[in-house]
This record gives sequence, C-alpha cells and structure tokens, in this order.
Amino acid sequence: MTATTTPPVAKRSLFGKDELKAIKDPLWDNNPIALQVLGICSALAVTTRLDKALVMGIGVTLVTALANVIISTIRNFIPNKIRIIVQLVVVSGVVIVFDQILKAYMFDLSKQLSVFVGLIITNCIVMGRLEAYAMSNPPWRSFLDGIGNGLGYMWILAIVGSIREIFGSGKLLGFQVVPQALYDAGYVNNGLMVLAPGAFLLLGIIVWVQRSISGYVEK
Amino acid sequence: MNTSSNGYVMGFAVTVCVVISTALAFTATSLKSTQEAAAEFDRQKNVMMAVGIVKADDTRPRGELEALYKQRFAEVVVDTKDGVVAAGKTVEDVQKMKSAEDKKRYRVVVLSKTEDGKPDSYVLPISGKGLWSTIYGYLALEGDLDHVRGVTFYKHGETPGLGGECENPAWCATWSGKSILDAQKKLVGVAVKKGKVDGSIPAEKAHKVDGLSGATITSNGITNFVLADLKAFDGYLTGLRSK
Repeated sequence: MTATTTPPVAKRSLFGKDELKAIKDPLWDNNPIALQVLGICSALAVTTRLDKALVMGIGVTLVTALANVIISTIRNFIPNKIRIIVQLVVVSGVVIVFDQILKAYMFDLSKQLSVFVGLIITNCIVMGRLEAYAMSNPPWRSFLDGIGNGLGYMWILAIVGSIREIFGSGKLLGFQVVPQALYDAGYVNNGLMVLAPGAFLLLGIIVWVQRSISGYVEK
Repeated sequence: MNTSSNGYVMGFAVTVCVVISTALAFTATSLKSTQEAAAEFDRQKNVMMAVGIVKADDTRPRGELEALYKQRFAEVVVDTKDGVVAAGKTVEDVQKMKSAEDKKRYRVVVLSKTEDGKPDSYVLPISGKGLWSTIYGYLALEGDLDHVRGVTFYKHGETPGLGGECENPAWCATWSGKSILDAQKKLVGVAVKKGKVDGSIPAEKAHKVDGLSGATITSNGITNFVLADLKAFDGYLTGLRSK
C-alpha cells in the first residue's frame, strides 16, 4: 500500500495531474486486488455470477468514494487517537445505507449477497484507502481515488464473475450462452467454477497475468 | 485547537455517533414501506416456486408475476386446532394477531388453481428453528395431499454456503415427489437425512432427502419443524382427504 501525498498547491484544475493519477493508478499500476492484494475474501465469495460481482463492485465503489469524501472533509478535525474508530463508524454507516437501499429496490440480489454487503465494512480496500489516502488528501481527489479503487476492484471481479458463470452454469447475466446442442453432445458445466476454489485459481491466474504485464516485482 | 484533549475526543466521538445514527434512522424509516412490499413480493414468488410455475431466476417483470399470483392463488385461514377453514377470519386478521397461541392456531394456507380454475395444489407455510435463526418456507402438496410438489425456504439467517444452502433450488428440487404418508396412510413427514439418500431402501427413497453437508443442525431443524407443521395441519388435511 502506498500513500501518495503531494504538497498543497494554491490553485489546481479539476482534473490535474494528481487527480488523473488518483483515478487511473488503482485501475492498473496500483490495483487493489492484483497489487495491493486487498478485498480477496469478497472477491472469492460473490463472483459465482456476473450480476452479483457487478453489484458488489458498485457497492464497494460507492462506499469507498463516499467514505473517502466524508473522512477527507473532516480529516483535520479527527483526533488521531480515535481515527480508526471514526473511520469504521463512517464506513459502517455508508454500508448500512447501501444495504437498506438494496433491500428496498433489489430484494433478490440483497438476499443472494446476504452477509457480504455487511462485510463491505471489513473490506480492506475501504479502510486501506481511508487510512492511506483520505486522511492526507482533499475531498475531491479522495473521491476520485475511491472511484478508481472501486473500479479497479470491480473489473477484476467482473472478469472472474463472467468466467465462473459461463463455465460454472453456462449462463451470463442469467441468460443461457452455452447452446443446448453442446449439452446434448455431452458437455457438462464445471462444478469447480461454482465453488470458492475455482475463484481462487482464477484470481491467482489474473494476478499473475496482470503482474507480468505491468512488470510489478515484489520488493 | 487541541484535538488530542480528552474533552475534544469525547465530544467528537459523540457528535459522529449522533450524526450517523440520525442519517441511518432517516434512511431506514423512509425505505421501510418499499422494503416491506419487496419482502411480500418475495413471499408470493416463493409460493409460486413451491408450486413450480415460477423459477428462482425468472426474468418476467414483477408486475406480471404479481398478477399471476392474484389470478392463480387464493389464501385461506386455517384453524389448526379444529382442522377446518376458519370462517370469518381474514388474512389481515392473522397478520394483526399478537399472541403466540393465536398465531400457532390460525395459519394461512395458499390454494393454487390450474389455468382453467380447477384446484391444483395446497401450499402450507412451514417455519421453525435452524441453527442460528428461524427458517421460513413453503411446502406445496399435490392434489392427493400425500406427495410433495415442491418446497422453498425464503427467509433465514443460516450460515451462507452451509445451512444457507437450504434455499438452493437444486436441493429444494430433491423434495419433489417425496411422500408425507406411509403405507398405512399415517403421517411420517419428510426427513432430511445425514448424508445421501439410499435409493435401494423404499422407505428412505419415499420419505427422506439428502442432507445439507456441514449443516447438521439446520438439517435436523428442518426435519423437526416440517413434521411439527404437518402435524398441526393434519386435522385439516385429513378432513380434505375424506371429502
């Protein structure tokens, strides 16, 4: 985890160099899953289907961005002694609101995501970004950092989710993609893909591919 | 400002808590009616899943499914003490009941009709303790009031992946065709076995389903409350059979 701190400048544009860096870095060069290796637990649990993975990704993105903004706004008032507790309270609040909205408008999905929505609270990405970025950067940039990290998390989840859904249940977003003719010819869905170990293997492969392309070396 | 003095820290903590709880209370109250409507639709959908005319991942819009429920299903209040349909009690009356005794006595059974309006299946509400929570579900019986049409569990707080697998449609599908009466027409219910059902033993094939691995207590809980609820409805069902 690397904290990017820049000296305050009197006037800056809305999308200056730092702002672009805040949103682009976590997508590839400092990806929360592939490089920071955060949020693995939920990445394994909610990727059996693409829609679950996407909703979880959106949830984490919104929560990280919103919590980043709130913490960043009050960062100069937070007593250092209780900063982690304050971060947790803010994150929990935001997550519960998200959970309530899901229950009201996407009941089915909220049932399937069950405890994992509540577990966004303990997702290391959220706390990690608050501690590493929002505590020392202004709100707008923290917001972009939150969006960036959420999206960085989401695209990996989406890839894992698509592969698992296609090979595990022959569908994508609930629609049949593997033709019936293939089943008639003796093709069977891969049971491993539905279970957590399948996600573990896929995630390992994705981290490997991502790191060999981005040229990251463990120090 | 000294942000590390004890007074400041206390004041800050209290302020944060008050602000966040107000925001949460506001969200919860303003979304309550929408959430209740969503939960009610989920219940109706589960009744339809138990009967087998709707699948868990049905892509039809909500309005269409609600209309289907209205058209094909009727809810009646059964007095389980006397084993008859409680005339003069409406579903709203039952929902308003406060005492546990009344709630146990009066239960809402859903009758399904075929497309041309003929009686089709009887959907009994079942509920009881699993490991962590009360599990709610529906058991649909065929017109012969012996064989199971289908089962669903729609509300529970069991461990996801273990006891939570009780809502897995693949597992629920194994209940179909099981019989709740033995050869002497005595009520035996459907039991969740520990391990796999041995198809070569007729009694096991007829009255048992595969266990949920890693969830013995949830499985036993389901066995117990399914039997208890079937016993409660026994008077009503026996009355129907003799007709």
